[in-house]
Amino acid sequence: MTLRVERGVVFGFLGPNGAGKTTAVKLLLGLARPTHGTGRVLGGPLGDRKSRRRIGYLPELFRYPEWLTGREVLEFHSALAVLPHADRKREIDTALDLVGLVDRAGHRVATYSKGMQQRLGLAVALLGRPELIFLDEPTSALDPIGRRDVREILADLRARNTTVFLNSHLLTEVEKVCNRVAIVQRGRIVADGPLHQLVGSERGLRIRATCDGVPLRDVLERFGEVEDEPNGALVRGLAHDHVPDVVAALVTAGARVYSIEPIVQTLEERFLETMDAK
Amino acid sequence: MIAIAAFTVRQLIRQRFVIAAVLVTVVLAALTDWGFYALRNAHGPNGRPISQLELKATASILVILVAYLFSFILAAAATLVASPMLSSEIDSGVLLPVLARPISRPAIVLGKAVGMSLVVVAYAAFASSLEFSLVRLATGYSPPHPAAAVCALATLVLVMLALTLALATRLTMIASSIVAFLCFGVAWVAGIVASLGPIYHNESLIRAGVISQLLLPTDAMWRTVAYFLEPALVLSRAQAGLWSGPFLVAAPPPISMQIWTGLWIVVIVGIAMRSFATRDV
Repeated sequence: MTLRVERGVVFGFLGPNGAGKTTAVKLLLGLARPTHGTGRVLGGPLGDRKSRRRIGYLPELFRYPEWLTGREVLEFHSALAVLPHADRKREIDTALDLVGLVDRAGHRVATYSKGMQQRLGLAVALLGRPELIFLDEPTSALDPIGRRDVREILADLRARNTTVFLNSHLLTEVEKVCNRVAIVQRGRIVADGPLHQLVGSERGLRIRATCDGVPLRDVLERFGEVEDEPNGALVRGLAHDHVPDVVAALVTAGARVYSIEPIVQTLEERFLETMDAK
Repeated sequence: MIAIAAFTVRQLIRQRFVIAAVLVTVVLAALTDWGFYALRNAHGPNGRPISQLELKATASILVILVAYLFSFILAAAATLVASPMLSSEIDSGVLLPVLARPISRPAIVLGKAVGMSLVVVAYAAFASSLEFSLVRLATGYSPPHPAAAVCALATLVLVMLALTLALATRLTMIASSIVAFLCFGVAWVAGIVASLGPIYHNESLIRAGVISQLLLPTDAMWRTVAYFLEPALVLSRAQAGLWSGPFLVAAPPPISMQIWTGLWIVVIVGIAMRSFATRDV
């Protein structure tokens, strides 16, 4: 596996179960040791303690001491992260506020739902504004509101130029927040690049229209490959800046146009296509 | 390391280990003290009340027996406290975010060892002091060297903590508890077998005892405890060879054994630190 993630990128690391995503994160954090090969994180070797000062981590298997309150968990981690004493309370309050746990901060973790524990894990990862954050399936236990909150947090991190390494199965989530994506399969990178390049390769227009005189196919064939569909047609291989030309041609031919929908390949489609190809 | 040690102390207090241990100890001490009070009103074989000398001699033997029982409880407590500290926390995932912090793994092991040692040694001191005080109240008897006996008992506990912690860096909670306690039992049996060596003038038995004490010095520490609890009357009987067994020792293990035990703890904690630092989680 050869991989490079630049600073300030929200990086989506995708792959089927057992592809090696969590193992890769553990290797980068020094929780597991590579059988061979090397890597560098924030300029330091794998597992370097100095680099770990600037890293936040939410594991896939998130568990926190049940006998502590949420705030005490964060106090413990702020001590481990060697945050300055004067800043700890402020950092903890900020992290609790970000993940929406202010009201439950004084309750024991044992009373938290799974989703709340994941929010707490996210607060632990965000503590001290790390330069790099590893999030392993950060929304696996969250409801739609929680997932939206995580998206907003990730957008905020991106705005602050924080590097995020995001492992996720939820491709629509990744598509909304990541600006670079890699797909891993059986420990190998099978696709890697900016999100817009990975998902923008297949373009076209889905047209809902009727035309009494000329068949729609005859009007549209000069723009690209046409597939007939109920109530319209799908035109493939068409750049989006040709949309006004298509509309003009349809209107000139006397067609009644109900909708024109640009078609972009989704990340999920690209992911499944990549998996099928391998 | 200090943060982990403080966390471990708090963990043992908040998880009610301390309160449970204190409650059980108070009940146990009250029950044994009831027995010691009953002893005051006991009668000899000819129906006469036992003399003050007989009362103190009997109390001294019973104190050693209670201490022996207590050493078992402490060894079991040390094993049960130490085994989940690493293995369960790794399996459950609690340690993952901790290990990603800028703290070395040896520091985590050392912090846990220090935290557990503080709690368990404090508990040993509390329980011993309580028992000795109650025995004194009931019978007027005090062991000759209670502080030294408590130190030896605490060292025995530290041996078990170090052993279990080292095992827990690689084994599951149940496996590390079972293996540690089996080792304790084997060392105990080896100690009894070795005590037969001088009686039968058998060098092999004596050698087996020494080797077992070197491998796991819990029995040597128990003999040190027993020696410090023996009053002059009992000690003279033991030294004369009139009484013998695991509860009565004529002489404590040599000072070199005490030094070896200290070294043993340091080495085993060092092995635990190394073992934990080189494993994947």
